[in-house]
Amino acid sequence: MNQQIRTIADLDRVIHEPGRLMIVALLFAVDRADFLYLQHETGINKGTLSSHLSRLEEAGYLAVTKTYRGKVPQTLLCLTGIGRKAFEQYRRKLKEAL
Amino acid sequence: MDQVGNLLERPRLYYNIDGLGELGGSVMCLGLGLLWWLLMRSPADSVWHRISFFVFVGLMLLIHYGIKTVKTRITYPRTGFVEYRRRRHTSAIAAVVGALATAGLAVAFRRHRDISTLVSLAGLVFAGAYGYNFARAVRWKLVIVGAMAVASFVIAFLPVDVLGALGSESPAHPDRAKLLGAILLSLTVYGTLLLISGGISLWLYLHHTQAPAQDGQ
Repeated sequence: MNQQIRTIADLDRVIHEPGRLMIVALLFAVDRADFLYLQHETGINKGTLSSHLSRLEEAGYLAVTKTYRGKVPQTLLCLTGIGRKAFEQYRRKLKEAL
Repeated sequence: MDQVGNLLERPRLYYNIDGLGELGGSVMCLGLGLLWWLLMRSPADSVWHRISFFVFVGLMLLIHYGIKTVKTRITYPRTGFVEYRRRRHTSAIAAVVGALATAGLAVAFRRHRDISTLVSLAGLVFAGAYGYNFARAVRWKLVIVGAMAVASFVIAFLPVDVLGALGSESPAHPDRAKLLGAILLSLTVYGTLLLISGGISLWLYLHHTQAPAQDGQ
């Protein structure tokens, strides 16, 4: 039981937050996606989504590229190698804990 | 944990959110059916036999770039852009299955084996693949899966003379004519079902999503 609790305590807090978990899981399955896609899939508002993305970028899990789609600005997002490894580890630990 | 698994599945299901995956499949089935029919009905020295390969490549390019263009203009500005991870093993498996199926058909043709029932029942595999990839997320598409399965059975058990008449005008090789007829009918039926399903999906998508805003991200 102690081991289980320790495993739960060891979970990556950056990923464990529900909003960020959704973002990381969605990005894990693709090469890259834009801000609009994440907003559409998660249903999170622009401000909250931006703050989650900043937190993930600070942790080194996310790479952000600003570009243009025609004349419209576009924000492209992809998980870094560190981010992918962190998510894999998170899933493994979550499985162990459950 | 299942919810994380569902999230990981979502980008794959997003590919057909606008029905373009099905419409692409429909154009492929109907285009190949039409090309097949032209090749069967035209003399061996006709222009269709000389340019059939180029028509086939043109059709594939049309589907690839057509989907890309429509997604760029309609889907990405409305619900977002996704670039998928390249899965080499999936492409390799598809290529091997395609090559084996083509080789099997070629052998059956040469040896005049009657595999038209088998070809028709392969439609069940097609219906299963469609169900897994598209109907899992959108329940009304189970009707299309059912229609595909029923169509496979009907084509498999159609009288020989009906399939033979579709397959060739010459009664010299009845088994070959029956096989050609079964393939042609299958392509037409699956193409039409995909067209209906993809068309409804596209209509629903346009109806339920907002036209793009110009404020960027």
